[in-house]
Amino acid sequence: MSRSPPLQAAPNIDVGKSVTRGDWKVTTHKRPILNSTEIEAMTTTLGIAPPEMIFGNNSVEVSNEKLNWSISFNALEALELVDKSGESMLKVAYSEAWQKMRERVHEDIKEVVKPYDWTYTTNYQGTVHNTNRPFQQTGSEIPFDKLKRPDPILLFDDVMLYEDELADNGISILSVKIRVMPERLLILQRFFMRLDGVLFRLRDTRLFIEFGTGEVIRQYQAREDTYANVRNGLCIHAPEQIPSLLRDDSFIAERLPVVELERERVLLG
Amino acid sequence: MSESNVVQIMAPVTVVGDIHGQFFDMLEIFKIAGYCPDTNYLFLGDYVDRGLFSVETISLLVCLKLRWPSRVYLIRGNHESRGVTQSYGFYTECSRKYGNANVWRHFTDMFDFLTLSVVINNDIFCVHGGLSPSIHSIDQIKVIDRFREIPHEGPMADLVWSDPDPDRDEFSLSPRGAGYTFGAQVVKKFLEVNNQSHILRAHQLCQEGYQLLFDGLLSTVWSAPNYCYRCGNLASVLEVDYHGPLYYNVFEAAPENSEHRDAAAQQQDTGAVVEYFL
Repeated sequence: MSRSPPLQAAPNIDVGKSVTRGDWKVTTHKRPILNSTEIEAMTTTLGIAPPEMIFGNNSVEVSNEKLNWSISFNALEALELVDKSGESMLKVAYSEAWQKMRERVHEDIKEVVKPYDWTYTTNYQGTVHNTNRPFQQTGSEIPFDKLKRPDPILLFDDVMLYEDELADNGISILSVKIRVMPERLLILQRFFMRLDGVLFRLRDTRLFIEFGTGEVIRQYQAREDTYANVRNGLCIHAPEQIPSLLRDDSFIAERLPVVELERERVLLG
Repeated sequence: MSESNVVQIMAPVTVVGDIHGQFFDMLEIFKIAGYCPDTNYLFLGDYVDRGLFSVETISLLVCLKLRWPSRVYLIRGNHESRGVTQSYGFYTECSRKYGNANVWRHFTDMFDFLTLSVVINNDIFCVHGGLSPSIHSIDQIKVIDRFREIPHEGPMADLVWSDPDPDRDEFSLSPRGAGYTFGAQVVKKFLEVNNQSHILRAHQLCQEGYQLLFDGLLSTVWSAPNYCYRCGNLASVLEVDYHGPLYYNVFEAAPENSEHRDAAAQQQDTGAVVEYFL
């Protein structure tokens, strides 16, 4: 019935960036979302359907050839850590009412699409290549005072890994920001999830590298609170502002209590 | 307002999928596929949210509908709802552009009148999302009371929300705890019972701009290129002739978008602006 040309994928334009400081090389890739063939392949690999906006060809990579060390952030490895057992599965706010309603009408439909964590929550902290120099637990903090200085930014990028609207029940988003200054760099990978009427969830991984000393500090922080608690805290704001505030991950982040904190360090130099 | 829940129209007609406030890309559609009223149009819903120009997009579409009511048809999508537009941008855009939510209120009141489905040439069934286990015959759609907010459950919700699942035969429950997917046998049976040859829907992003499923019995049309100004996807409109086959007219994002890229970046944090994040 169709006389269209064979399915053409979108042009594979990469608007990523790259910068080198001494032996350190930073590269970002920003390409179109996966096409249907790539989505099929990823679905087979993962065993679950990927999020609706899947930037499977995007990545952020920091490497040092001399030290034989690198770390990269990509969607596939982040999604491999999503729960596929259905054990930590959330339900949308109106699920109970919906189930009651439908049971009366369609008792015959019982098959549930394979349960998995459809919010795509992940504790991914990047993929490290070089196991000879493992991270160690540490009390050292990322030196934020150094990062607050207005040093020139040689490279800044904001790279999406995936996003899903949870079928109009909120948002899940995993993205990586990077800024490279002359002497150091900072990466912030953030997973932000809002399930309307149910929960807010944040998973931040910060990676700091001091080029001169080869010191690498990685901090992982999980924050979480109920939707009701966050919403109640917003009543001082004008009602017209609230919908956009509920989408603002930086604004919400400060309002969520920390539920997990890990710091690791490795000295490569 | 007086349109049925199932509007019967004849080809030729150009069918448009999700636009999501990407106004300049919608203008690109008119350049590529023809202006009203020389080209007849059927829009499958999701006019607002996500993009920067939902107000402009829905305003133009409503004007076209009022000017040429029998040459322009607008189906309701899941985003043409009070609840969803508060979460995904249209409410915020109206409040910012007009200083209050009145315009949003009037538009969302208007959404209650949009029709739910269209049949082209007695042969192609068009809907925003997909099929419902409550709907076996197209006639059952006609009795839905559609002049209301889109509910969470029931046939009206299913028509704007459900997705096809090519790996299954029947209806299945979504793992989210609400909503259905529909499989190959459901599609075949629906087409047979209603004497139709094809289901045409929108609702799902596809990188190539369209997707054919179930051996070509169902197609998804997506009309927002470079969705959210960062997905890099193609878009398409589907041209339906009276006798001829379906033609997917594929297009890329409009050049005008680059002028608005900085605004998009600032508003949506897409990263064109250097930032001292911590």
